Amino acid sequence: MSSTEKRRIAVTGIGLVTPVGNTTAETWSGLLAGKSGAGQIENFDASGFSTTIGAEVKGFDPTESVPDPKLLKFASRSHGFALTAAAEALADAGIAPAPEDSHRWGLAVGAGMMSVAYDDLKVVHDHATDESGYFEPDGLVSEEFPANPVNFCRWQSNAGLGLLAKQFGIRGYATSVHTACASGGQAIGSALKAMRRGQCDYMLAGGFDSMLNPIGISGFCLLGALSTDNDNPTGASRPFDETRNGFVLGEGSGFLVLEDWDKAVERGASIYAELAGDGNSLSCYRITDSPPDGNGPIQAIHQALGDADTTMEEIDYVNAHGTSTQMNDRSECAAMKAVFGERIDEVQVSSTKSCMGHLIAAAGAVEAAVCCLAIRDGVAPVNANYNNPDPDCDVNLVTGEPQHGKIRAALTNSLGFGGSNSSLVFRNPTEVKA
Amino acid sequence: MKNASEKIVITGSGIVCGAGATPDDIWSKLAAGETAIGPYSQWDGDNWPVKIASEVQENNRTLVPDRKLHKTISRTDMFGIYAAEKAIENSGVLAHRDELPEDSQDGFNDRTGLFVGSGGGNYTSNYDYLPLITEAKGELPAFGAELSNMVTPMWLLKNLPNNVLCHVGIRGQLKGTNACITNQCSSGIMAVAESACAIVNGEADRIVAAGHDAPFEPEMVLYYHKLGLMSSDTPRPFDANRSGTVFGEGAASLVLEKESDANERSANVLGEFLGFGCCSEATGILDLDPEGDGVFRAIEQCLENAGLQTFDVGMICAHGNGTDASDLSESIGIRRAFGDDIPPVTGFKWAYGHLIGSSGIADIVMSLEALKQKAVPAIPTCEEIDPRIGEFPVATTSTNPRSNVALVICRGFGGMNVVVAIRANS
Repeated sequence: MSSTEKRRIAVTGIGLVTPVGNTTAETWSGLLAGKSGAGQIENFDASGFSTTIGAEVKGFDPTESVPDPKLLKFASRSHGFALTAAAEALADAGIAPAPEDSHRWGLAVGAGMMSVAYDDLKVVHDHATDESGYFEPDGLVSEEFPANPVNFCRWQSNAGLGLLAKQFGIRGYATSVHTACASGGQAIGSALKAMRRGQCDYMLAGGFDSMLNPIGISGFCLLGALSTDNDNPTGASRPFDETRNGFVLGEGSGFLVLEDWDKAVERGASIYAELAGDGNSLSCYRITDSPPDGNGPIQAIHQALGDADTTMEEIDYVNAHGTSTQMNDRSECAAMKAVFGERIDEVQVSSTKSCMGHLIAAAGAVEAAVCCLAIRDGVAPVNANYNNPDPDCDVNLVTGEPQHGKIRAALTNSLGFGGSNSSLVFRNPTEVKA
Repeated sequence: MKNASEKIVITGSGIVCGAGATPDDIWSKLAAGETAIGPYSQWDGDNWPVKIASEVQENNRTLVPDRKLHKTISRTDMFGIYAAEKAIENSGVLAHRDELPEDSQDGFNDRTGLFVGSGGGNYTSNYDYLPLITEAKGELPAFGAELSNMVTPMWLLKNLPNNVLCHVGIRGQLKGTNACITNQCSSGIMAVAESACAIVNGEADRIVAAGHDAPFEPEMVLYYHKLGLMSSDTPRPFDANRSGTVFGEGAASLVLEKESDANERSANVLGEFLGFGCCSEATGILDLDPEGDGVFRAIEQCLENAGLQTFDVGMICAHGNGTDASDLSESIGIRRAFGDDIPPVTGFKWAYGHLIGSSGIADIVMSLEALKQKAVPAIPTCEEIDPRIGEFPVATTSTNPRSNVALVICRGFGGMNVVVAIRANS
């Protein structure tokens, strides 16, 4: 339908805050070393929960990269991750919005958890419930209730978007998406589309999340989605291993700087990869269950390949969604096998959730960044903790040591609760034909 | 629309809000100057500083008859599912699919997208944890230990921000490109704009766009009140005595498709999506640019994207939320874009309140209706235009649109401004 030639988009900056490192360099070296970011939860007293382990961001201080204390007052933990990762991505790219071009800069984010914090809920509890704990609205309008509009702002669905736009002075197109675990991938896909249709010349695109808090983890504990290997936190996330028993909840943020390819080349920018294709489908199966035959994810992968004007032949590395739940991993492998056919034995596959845990709304963005780094360095990171082959998941996993060798193009999948599937294709700059 | 090889047409609409559950019902209220704002019933407002809202009147089972589904959705989801399915029904698009040969139905589903603008989270859903906090005496280890005895295992699923995307998708088998946009007030209107873009981009042949929200709940009212954004009287957009906004709740939906497909299946075409603009003012979460920078730029972008000149625009459906800063800066932004030649300006929040995440898409549905009726309904609560706004063509009595094109303006937290241009089929 589109009458214009596809505009080529370059990734020129990366910023990461993850459970294995608070910068891109630390995260990447951690992943290559197969280092686990999981441990006993220290953010809060999780001792009574069925799962007491998680992959937390450690020693994080947002004031190091966000000098404005007034802005940080409105930032949740995940917004702090986002502001920090975005600042790193822009510094890495060596460009930033200026007053004369800020209207050509866009922002696309996968926004994380939208439930209120436990501490805020506790305040409501202490002022506005009856003796059994049932809500009584009038307690909120008593003089003692400390209604705090700052907490309210922090909790708004686009608070992260608003804070990022202000911090970096981004005045163009801005969108915030939430499709659970697919959010980060969809945000980057949305950014690609907005740039291709000429809506922006530069974009900051990524995701952020932190559900490692009492309310966040409760939802997953109730569903039984988390690994309960509380005595073995570093081995608990083992995507595609036959004994896998749930995911390990992580937190963090990842951002990419995207810019027009020609402009990036012109200014001599160092280009990680071409963001070449986006695919996007809805499984329409069940709300948390993945289709066993991969119907849904298959379409997303095909679309992403088509959008990148390529085929599966060019893909040398897949960063899998690989959550380490029985169902997701089986469904995803079925999809990969359907797409790659006999090439499934050649293409390197790993789920870096084996090290970082599941960053939920940030996962797709962080894993997109991992693909870019893998392309730059010609190395596929490991799928850690893989010991027991599962006949349903017989894909070519990178185990033991990272695999060195040129990656012509990489694919990353993000499959969310609710059935949204996002796939992205990144191409090696040396494979880009002028 | 720029870059489009053919027109993107609107073939179905659905809506529910305090003023009714069909475009016709709501139109008759708007045209008659009848407000759907009044005392609320969801809790006892006697001791509350805000005593009014626009609540949906239909009961849950009227909106979504499937009893089992109610166990896994929240109030806002119910509105979204209702509106989306009404739009689908109105468009006849899935009825058309069901008559296709079976072997082409899968392909049809893969080329049918779904974009939902969701309000995101809400406060009340978290109150399911309050009895657990009591039981745990405020101690976290006990909270964790008693969790599964006190809270439904379905809690997370009931409260996913992307629930409408999931359920409308499953029920209709809409398997194509999709997104759930969580951009506060801009969510619903952005769902429409992204849908049109996805069709132009060749990602899908038809897309259901929906927006839903249920912001009217005690904590939300309280914080908006503390921020000075709530009216205790009624919303009076652009009026000298305006005192704030009033919450509504509800959802709206449109079906967009390629004109050739619509013609081929002899669909009833309601109108055309012409273009949009979207930008942030980079002012943070709550602040607005006092000079209407974002409104101005979003209008300019929209006109350019739609290939329109200012004189082509027949009416403006303003955001007009009735707060001091928003109405003033919006009027300045409109004047910057249109100069002295501003078409009649109206808005609907005086009637059905502020639907937050679904406000923009609801305004599109009702603006289509207004264009169809060739009437720009009045804002009856605007009695005396704010002198700081100056001369401004707010419809204080029903008037005629200058053409069959409307601009719909939607503003939100995060300094967001989104403007959509539509044309009604005449």
